[in-house]
Amino acid sequence: MDNSRTARLVRAALRCYPARWRRRHGDEAAELAALLIRDGTPAGSIAWSYLAGATREWLAPRSGRRLSAVACALLAAACLAGVSAGLLASTAPARAASTDHASTDHARPPARCRPGSSESVPVVIPVKDHPRVITQMAVHGRPC
Amino acid sequence: MGRRDGSTGQHVLRRAGETSALILISLAGGPKHGYALILDIKELAGVELGPGTLYGALDRLERLGLIEPLPADDRRHPYRITAPGAAALRVHLDSMERVSAAGRLRLQLGGI
Repeated sequence: MDNSRTARLVRAALRCYPARWRRRHGDEAAELAALLIRDGTPAGSIAWSYLAGATREWLAPRSGRRLSAVACALLAAACLAGVSAGLLASTAPARAASTDHASTDHARPPARCRPGSSESVPVVIPVKDHPRVITQMAVHGRPC
Repeated sequence: MGRRDGSTGQHVLRRAGETSALILISLAGGPKHGYALILDIKELAGVELGPGTLYGALDRLERLGLIEPLPADDRRHPYRITAPGAAALRVHLDSMERVSAAGRLRLQLGGI
C-alpha cells in the first residue's frame, strides 16, 4: 500500500472520533501513526486500532457512566437480536428439511402437527369391486 | 469527570485493565508522550499497544486522576504519573506479586 493511501486510511479512521477528541489528540495521533508506519507497523492495523478507539470513545461520553451503560446495553441488545435472527434464519431450512423427511413416514396419523401449508398423504378409499383404492389427498395439519 | 481527590480506590487498576497498568509502569520511569510510551511498553513487556488503545487508556487514566498531561511539546502531549497513580500502581503490583506467589506455590505443591 503506498504512502498516500495509508495516510488516507489513517485520516479516515481519525475522522471517526468525536470532534472534542480530535481537537485534543488529532495532530499527535496522526503523527504517531506516521511514526509507527515508518517503524513497520501495518497501516491497516493502525487504522483498525483507531476505529476501535473511536467506537469506544463514542460509547463512553463524558457526561457520565449511566449513558455509557445505556449505550452499551442498547448495542448489546442490537447484537443479540442480530445474532438471534441469524441463528433463526440459518436453522429454518434445516427444520424445513427435517419436516419434509418426516412426511415420508406413512405410519403417522394424518392429523399430526404440521406447520406450514398442506401436503399430500395417501388415503385408502373403499370402492366396489376393487379391494381398495389408494389416492393422494391434500390435508391440512393442525397448527403446532 | 476526573476524580483527582485521591479517592480512586485501592484496586482501581483491577478495573482499568492491563494496558493501564503497563502505562503507569512506563510513566513511573518518567514522563512520556504516546510514541515513547508505545516503544517503552514494547521493550518492557513485549506488548505492542495499538494507538487507539493507548489514547483510550490515557484518557481513562487522566479521568481517574492517575496521570496528568504536561504542557505540549510541539504536537506531542507528555504525561506523568500522579501521586494517586503511583499509590494505585503499588497496590496493583503488590496484588500481582501475591497472586504470582500463590500460583508458584500451587504449582510446586502440585508437582506440576
